[in-house]
Amino acid sequence: MNCNEVVREIPPYCYGEVSPAIEETLEAHLADCPACTRELAKHRKFLTRMDERAEMPDTGMLASCRTDLRTAISRVPAPVATNWLESFRNLWQLNIPFRVPVGAMALVALGFFAARVTPERFGGMKAGLSEPMFSNVRSVEPDASGQVRISVDEVHRRMVSGALGDANIQQLLLEAAREENNPGVRVESIGLLKNNVDSEEVRNALLDALTRDQNPGVRLKALEGLRPYAGNKDVRKTLASVLVKDENAGVRVQAIDLLTTHRDDSIVGALQNALQYEDNTYVRAQCERLLAEMKASVGTY
Amino acid sequence: MLEAVEVLSARMAQTESQTDEAGLIRAAQKGDQDAFERLVRSYDHSVLRVAMNLLRSPDEARDVYQEAFLKVYRNLHTFRFDCSFHTWLYRIVTNICLDHLRRRKVRREESTVVETSEGVVDRMSQLEEGAPHADPERQMWNRQLGGKIDQALESLTPRERAVFELRHYEGLRLRAIGEMIGTTEEAAKNCLFRATQKMRASLEAFV
Ligand SMILES: [Zn+2]
Repeated sequence: MNCNEVVREIPPYCYGEVSPAIEETLEAHLADCPACTRELAKHRKFLTRMDERAEMPDTGMLASCRTDLRTAISRVPAPVATNWLESFRNLWQLNIPFRVPVGAMALVALGFFAARVTPERFGGMKAGLSEPMFSNVRSVEPDASGQVRISVDEVHRRMVSGALGDANIQQLLLEAAREENNPGVRVESIGLLKNNVDSEEVRNALLDALTRDQNPGVRLKALEGLRPYAGNKDVRKTLASVLVKDENAGVRVQAIDLLTTHRDDSIVGALQNALQYEDNTYVRAQCERLLAEMKASVGTY
Repeated sequence: MLEAVEVLSARMAQTESQTDEAGLIRAAQKGDQDAFERLVRSYDHSVLRVAMNLLRSPDEARDVYQEAFLKVYRNLHTFRFDCSFHTWLYRIVTNICLDHLRRRKVRREESTVVETSEGVVDRMSQLEEGAPHADPERQMWNRQLGGKIDQALESLTPRERAVFELRHYEGLRLRAIGEMIGTTEEAAKNCLFRATQKMRASLEAFV
């Protein structure tokens, strides 16, 4: 271990987060290296200083938070898991394999929509209710007489198939794109939807996914789908904000690439802002290039 | 035989607090409000502390508290015991705090210095209340240091800040922090290094 490597290990070392092997090497190095020993002492002093700045909420604050929470919750209806939607989520949590094949014809196996989708709505399509696929034991209650009561959820999987252009299929995909607890379904849905950006609703769903989805994979797919609309004013505004706000460098790289396809003075401010925080060299270089092309300065002041 | 029973009961005592919690969660999942409140009470102090340390603003910490527990209330039925409740809850809290920090960063870009200096004044008065009997010199030093630390923290990216605060003040392992913010242990470790380097550079006069 050289001095640089030792210095990098000092913060985790001070928290007891290095392996025994590294600890041993590090301590051997420290024994012979005054510079690294000084560095360690400095780091420890810094940590002590930081300890003095620990925040402790007082009990009054905690009490008022609890009161506020109780009030807030009394306004929310009790969310008890009893419906089909939840049953489907349970299935997902249990890692039942579930895939949506990608292609011109989408075969969408969205069991959880069984509750929302009426047969009338899919009257014109191949739709059939299969046998119960899975039983989820929700509770087991023995009673004094030796009887046991078991509460079981049965989940039916409904297969719905249709062309991607079909309005009903698109509607299902739009709903699936917002499936909060299921990133896998969101990625697939956005991936399919992005081939149909002509529809304003789809475009809005992509913009929505790009700004709100927690999953960078979903955001990247949404960006791909927005490519043909890189000239659109709303799309560009969103791309500029992604550049400032998105934590994922891959997403920012895609966003800047889309932005560089068009020139547009209204995003100068956003580019300058982004530059103040950007640590990705590629994104920085592209921002600077774009600003230079628009003859704008690189900094805001 | 007796020995076996003793071992068993010892084991049961060990896991009692865990099963207790699992029982509370299951009851709350079935809509038992009382169980939900007890669950809140066993964690809310640390939730508020995390939010206070991460955001250093009592108002924002209150918002995080509400947002986090409302989210828990709405989504508790999706909790499937595949990680500890603590991890699940902290993941929610950390993400809400990160959102706050990101928004703050954007707001700061849009607004002027006024908001920042107001915040500093606020924090200073808080510091004074916290140490009523400290000697004036020490108080002055603390005040300056406190302001400096806040500034140094503001210079970190939201992610760096979260990693540092969760490691330093919450004592969480880097691996757990990585899981919470959706990254690897190694990335969390790098983040921690960058954070401490930046902070030490800005606090040079004090450390
Ligand atoms: Zn050395």
